[in-house]
Amino acid sequence: MLERLNMTADPGSTTIVMTRFFDAPPSAVFEAWTRAEHIAHWWDPSGAPLAVCEVDLRPGGSFRWVNQGDKGTEHSFTGTYSRISPPDELVFAARTLPSGPYSLATLSFIEDSGGTKFTMTIECQSVENRKALLAMRIDVGTARTLENLAVFLHKTGRTEESK
Amino acid sequence: MVIDALSDSLGLTFSALADPTRRAILARLASGDADVSELMKPFALTQPTISKHLKVLERAGLITQGRDAQRRPRKLIGVPLRDVAEWVEPYRRFWELRLDSLDGYLKGMTAKEKRRAGKA
Repeated sequence: MLERLNMTADPGSTTIVMTRFFDAPPSAVFEAWTRAEHIAHWWDPSGAPLAVCEVDLRPGGSFRWVNQGDKGTEHSFTGTYSRISPPDELVFAARTLPSGPYSLATLSFIEDSGGTKFTMTIECQSVENRKALLAMRIDVGTARTLENLAVFLHKTGRTEESK
Repeated sequence: MVIDALSDSLGLTFSALADPTRRAILARLASGDADVSELMKPFALTQPTISKHLKVLERAGLITQGRDAQRRPRKLIGVPLRDVAEWVEPYRRFWELRLDSLDGYLKGMTAKEKRRAGKA
């Protein structure tokens, strides 16, 4: 079963809030977000390990995650860390959509009955950015269906040996 | 050109929705048409103030004015609100895929730890 991603956007502001529950403690979720050996194995929804996964985890340090993709479909996610407070908060500036403008992402990891309530707040710089984003009409047509993905990732997650 | 027109109207929608009173007016109209005097009551605002808000909403294409014999009820139009929902949709698709992926990865790790603990 897939947990639902809960998403709200206040039309009057430039903020999007996403919340989701993970069945693992905050320290594990925080590590999965901040250690290259973990990120490389979950960032690409296809389950393929990343081609490049650079993480310079310090305020002002940058990160670059590039998936393998087929020719022309590689996507790189890059940004700069601004606050690192394990295990409950991580803040970075990045393009939170592949070809969107830079925005500030605040990730919070709160302990909740043995698991983690994860909240991601994306602050776009201005309403102008929202307009720009709409105009770009991000191509997400290549995405797999979520059902296939869940089955696939479960399998991948079980057979992976990181140590 | 089409995109320009679309972004402009979205900008209008956002600025119209930025005001809490106007959002409340829309919420009221979502439950049925209402004229100025009917809208004045729940909000304790003067007629000129309500009329000003209604004008902004009308310009953004969020409401329209109907014609009754005596009253002129305002009606909610759904299209601009749908545009806002569409704006958020790419974010949802992008992040839902990745967070689902993270969820699968974390479950795999937990399962592995349990196996390891079982063997020990």
